Amino acid sequence: MSVDLTFADEALARVGRKPEALIPVLQALQEHYGYLPEEALQRVCEASEITPAAITGVASFYDMFRMQPAGKHIVRVCRGTACHVAGAERVEEELRRHLKIPDGGDTDSEGQFTIEQVACLGTCTLAPVLRIGETTMGYASAEKVPKLMREFLEAQANSVAVKSTEERHGNGHGAAAEIHVGLGSCCMAKGSDQLFHALREGAEASGANVLVKRVGCVGMCHRTPLVEVAAAGKSEFYAGMTAEQARALLQRHFRPPGLAQRIGRVWTRVLDGLMLEDASEPQRVQRFSLSKRDPSVRAFLGKQVHIATEHFGKLDPLDLDEYVAHGGFAALARCLGGEDARLALTPSLSPGERENHAPAAVMSGNGLGLGNVETKMPGQTLSPLPGREGQGEGKGGQRLSSDEIISTVEKSGLRGRGGAGFPSGQKWRVVSLQPGETKYVICNGDEGDPGAFMDRMILESFPFRVIEGLAIAAVAVGAREGIFYIRHEYPLAVKRVRAAIAELEKRGWLGDRLLGVGPSFRLSVFEGAGAFVCGEETALIMSIEGQRGMPKLRPPFPAQEGLWGKPTLINNVETLAMVPWILRNGAEKFAAIGTAKSKGTKVFALAGKIRRGGLIEIPMGTTIREIVEEIGGGVGEGRRFKAVQIGGPSGGCVPARLADTPVDFESLRDVGAIMGSGGLVVLDDTSCMVDIARYFLQFTQDQSCGKCTFCRIGTKRMLDLLDRLCLSKATRQNLDELERLAHQVGAGSLCGLGKTAPNPVLTTLRYFRDEYEAHLQGRCPAKKCTALIHYTINTDCTGCTICAQHCPVDAIPMTPYAPHVIDDARCTRCDTCRQVCPHNAVELK
Amino acid sequence: MSANFSITIDGHAVQVAPGESVLNAARKLGIDIPTLCYLEKCGPLNTCQVCLVKLNGKLVPSCGTKVAPGMAVESETTEVHEARRTALELLFSDHVGDCLSPCHRLCPLQLNVPVMLRHIQAGRLHEAAVTVRQALPLPAVLGRLCHHPCEQGCRRNSLDDPAAIREMERFVADQDLQSGAPHLPPCKPHTGKSVAIIGGGPAGLAAAHFLAREGHAVTVVDRHEKAGGTLRTRTTEVELPREVLDAELAQLERLGVQFKLNVALGQDLTLEGLSRGFNAVLLTLGEISPRNTHNLGVVLGPHGIKTDPNTGWTSAPDVFAAGSAVKPVKQLVKAMSEGRAVAECVHRHLFGVAPRRPEKTFSSVMGRLDPGELREFLRGANSAGRVSPCDRCLGHNRAEAAIESSRCLHCDCRSSGNCVLQHWAQVYDADANRFRSERKKFEQHLQPGGIIFEPGKCILCGICVKLTEMAAEPLGLTFIGRGFDVKVGVPFSREIDAGLQKVAAECVEHCPTGALVFKSEAGGS
Repeated sequence: MSVDLTFADEALARVGRKPEALIPVLQALQEHYGYLPEEALQRVCEASEITPAAITGVASFYDMFRMQPAGKHIVRVCRGTACHVAGAERVEEELRRHLKIPDGGDTDSEGQFTIEQVACLGTCTLAPVLRIGETTMGYASAEKVPKLMREFLEAQANSVAVKSTEERHGNGHGAAAEIHVGLGSCCMAKGSDQLFHALREGAEASGANVLVKRVGCVGMCHRTPLVEVAAAGKSEFYAGMTAEQARALLQRHFRPPGLAQRIGRVWTRVLDGLMLEDASEPQRVQRFSLSKRDPSVRAFLGKQVHIATEHFGKLDPLDLDEYVAHGGFAALARCLGGEDARLALTPSLSPGERENHAPAAVMSGNGLGLGNVETKMPGQTLSPLPGREGQGEGKGGQRLSSDEIISTVEKSGLRGRGGAGFPSGQKWRVVSLQPGETKYVICNGDEGDPGAFMDRMILESFPFRVIEGLAIAAVAVGAREGIFYIRHEYPLAVKRVRAAIAELEKRGWLGDRLLGVGPSFRLSVFEGAGAFVCGEETALIMSIEGQRGMPKLRPPFPAQEGLWGKPTLINNVETLAMVPWILRNGAEKFAAIGTAKSKGTKVFALAGKIRRGGLIEIPMGTTIREIVEEIGGGVGEGRRFKAVQIGGPSGGCVPARLADTPVDFESLRDVGAIMGSGGLVVLDDTSCMVDIARYFLQFTQDQSCGKCTFCRIGTKRMLDLLDRLCLSKATRQNLDELERLAHQVGAGSLCGLGKTAPNPVLTTLRYFRDEYEAHLQGRCPAKKCTALIHYTINTDCTGCTICAQHCPVDAIPMTPYAPHVIDDARCTRCDTCRQVCPHNAVELK
Repeated sequence: MSANFSITIDGHAVQVAPGESVLNAARKLGIDIPTLCYLEKCGPLNTCQVCLVKLNGKLVPSCGTKVAPGMAVESETTEVHEARRTALELLFSDHVGDCLSPCHRLCPLQLNVPVMLRHIQAGRLHEAAVTVRQALPLPAVLGRLCHHPCEQGCRRNSLDDPAAIREMERFVADQDLQSGAPHLPPCKPHTGKSVAIIGGGPAGLAAAHFLAREGHAVTVVDRHEKAGGTLRTRTTEVELPREVLDAELAQLERLGVQFKLNVALGQDLTLEGLSRGFNAVLLTLGEISPRNTHNLGVVLGPHGIKTDPNTGWTSAPDVFAAGSAVKPVKQLVKAMSEGRAVAECVHRHLFGVAPRRPEKTFSSVMGRLDPGELREFLRGANSAGRVSPCDRCLGHNRAEAAIESSRCLHCDCRSSGNCVLQHWAQVYDADANRFRSERKKFEQHLQPGGIIFEPGKCILCGICVKLTEMAAEPLGLTFIGRGFDVKVGVPFSREIDAGLQKVAAECVEHCPTGALVFKSEAGGS
């Protein structure tokens, strides 16, 4: 088999021939060929400075690279925490069975489908999630698999062109009304992009003076797609709409002309059906009334304070003028020196346009939209429209010195939102004090924690804000070059950040002169290639340098010797998103929120066994109970809230009895968890804690870079022991050994990944030892561990044969009108029979 | 920052220069911190985590941690040692290979069988004799009478017949004796200490052999007119020609052992008297018959003389006992190994050190092999069946012995004895089986260039990867994969030889385990 190597040459010419070009070159090859053909790799070695050892080492390190051709469609099965607790394993098993993929293989015999596990797709509120090609599918289950695949193939056959929602939309400022459609990844997975186009086309056809506008994440992922109609100072919200209902919505709000009127009424009735009372099933469509009247919306938003997510659900992610109109880049302008920079902010808008430019802000002021809730935090008065007339005035437009910027960040008490909570100002200070001309700033968007999607949402919804934060950091520490490191599993975030950078460059605000007046600052995007460990700063740097992402011993810290050996500041997305707010509103205002040592707010991805999942931003110090019960609406009907998993694979499980623990760095550490990057997965009585511990260990084990002994082998041996427990093969000595080894792996590992990997095990041992004991005796109290449970059919069976029809492994012989029996040896515990039985006759023991 | 300063390690101060590693500082103090992945030339690789020390409440690798003023490091504490031991034990849980071959491990006298066989195969008979006489006190005797537990463990058993290990021992010993100048294992200088061994049977003779090699003046007292004990009374001339036994006894005399024959304890001399004349007395009287018990002067147990099982010590000061005198021993080699064990105890006692039995050489144990793995081994061996000597009385001739030896699968590790991992496992008393788990498959890549690469023994220290990178090897070596499945290999699935065109010797030399070795190495030093 010979491979056309022209593309390899092209890729090298385009991307570069230096050793650090390796990962982008491989990404280009993979995109083109679908895998990495050896001939192409050989070619790269011949025609560049990249060595064979580097190629083989790197290509085999990162998840995204394949050495064999893949099927026509890649089916990505999310194995994130929320998906795991929602049964992703069963979905994958069923997929393999359905596609007849042989054990050990990943592609079906016809080369149509290749199954890949993905650590987390970051759409946790839709769990379990599949992504086939570009299409994301939420709420999957084993028995839905055949249907999902059929639908996908039909859509393919009909070659329904998927329209992009990413082009820059025309400037529609000045319309009488606006329709906002949330276009984050979660929303899009639920069809909001199709809805967006339907609304847009419908609006155009109707001739109504309405702007259909793309906005970022609204946070209420449990109700997506979410549409807000804002007109005449009023807002109405619709949840769970489909593209087919777009016309109805337009007709309801914007008088249908002439003949269509009657049909319109019929449609409106259908639409009323969509505006029903709250229901917990995510599939149900319903109306949001105004925030004050709908208790569930109020509860969801009431405790939130929006700093990183300021103006959420209002801003078009890529509308730079709108961002500026909402105070965007004012903070950077202040850092760069008053008037000059401020003037720079208004080149593209005439004064008249500016007048009309803030419809969303006007609505906020009227207290009618979702965004107004941010002003309603008890005891706080946050200015809805801070910025130009704000803090900078007293200083008379003087440029802020590096020291002043850093002091402000220090005084605000901002701590790194990536997990460890290191004081950000202190980090900035260290980098700023390093000698040397060349320094780098990096935005760490390698959000790998399964169950976390805050950074994805922020990058997708507020790319300009993060860029502004990074630019301020660069000004403060004296860096002239910045890099966004974003995981490739977040294509939309990559796209939007790239588009935002291009927009800023076009305007002359990035490049030679920051905002047109400041020092030079260049920004680029580096796409991760699929390795959780690259969230670790030293591994991230290795990755940018074109190497395997293997962490290094610290010290030296990246702040001293980072990228290319130069001082490097690395901050998390959310941290950077808070910086502009702090500089606009002052350190004191930020420090007034939160607890004694943990200031400000924290964004959490709330998912798992909870009614209202989504993205929330809450003041530090909010208790777990407030988050789960008030914001999230508690666990499902008839279920018992058992624990929350905070901090992902490095974090721990906090039991329900400690739910009054305030969420701040110290309190969480004291209970054995960590803040982590902000994944918060709620667990109920159907979640097995041993299984959860095993799940996380499996994750860290998969993601360990393999460098140091304790992490590479230690986590594997811990996993072996947990496997034994889940198979009921463990002895008490095994349990003791597990605990002993957990402590040793934590103490002996080289980097943070290994040091924190045992936390899920240690916290579950600490709070749920009884479940471990039960497993020793062969019982799984949550009835989750498949080796320890059995399905049986009780006497309520009417012989309706539905279970037998649905059983994917023929473990239930079809006996019409006679009680059915499950062959335990054949049964794979996929749970399908229990779910389809109309008589609740299938029991789990 | 250029002035020297001092730090403390375990409370001891040491002067250091800025930029120096904690490991280096410890070495200056004579603290031997174990390392596997550290090679000065490569800089700290920080992979093995065996060199951990405690600093500010945290464990850090000492090779990569630079000294700083005021540093207080903990090294030789229980906690640190336990962490180091765990690192070693984790490495062994993923270490596919035996340090010692099963035959070697099963030999009570720890004869390094594969090394002996490699020498025979190569015609290096003197070297073979050196190997044999290093381990066996009377090899020509054992080569005829041993019940050869080694052969039961031989991996060839599952293919055809085990290598004829005992016959090969006999061949080597006979050839050695016939050479006119049989090899004498080296003896340490005289210690000035003397030991009386009462009873010249297998246990006593073995003890005499090992004590003499330690430099002690050994006198064997036997009530018969010739030494040998049950070797004379319970064997026929066919089984053990007396001429062979006498020749081996002569070897003992050459080592400096004195024989006092026709002298019986309790009649001609007393324990008390012996204790006055010698620094230590060892009773290897053979089975104790009820008749002579009252004469001994030591306390008896149900089977014989009562001793501390760990030290061989009897109730009388400076008096030890071993062999069938303590508890009947059926097998010759067991009796001799008991003699060796008690010799170690006596030796330590003479130097004022608490007696204990000899330590077993540490060995990683691979366990059962599947047929595929056996085939890997067979590739390096002669697949012919067992060779019988044409003249059974004379044993194998040189050609026959060479063929028979070539049947060995060489399932030992050629690095054993030179292996850094094995060394630290021995020092830290690591338990190779602490983490029992499914092991990876054994693989052996025999390269035309003479390198043997056994990926299962690789601990991913990264030294060879770094060396090839530094030498700008055209292909070199790299880490492949991630996490637990990482392995070292050559890019584009090429063989090891292709990756090591410049620095093969250097990589083999610095491999801390037996993952990379040269086939020409006999091993077992």
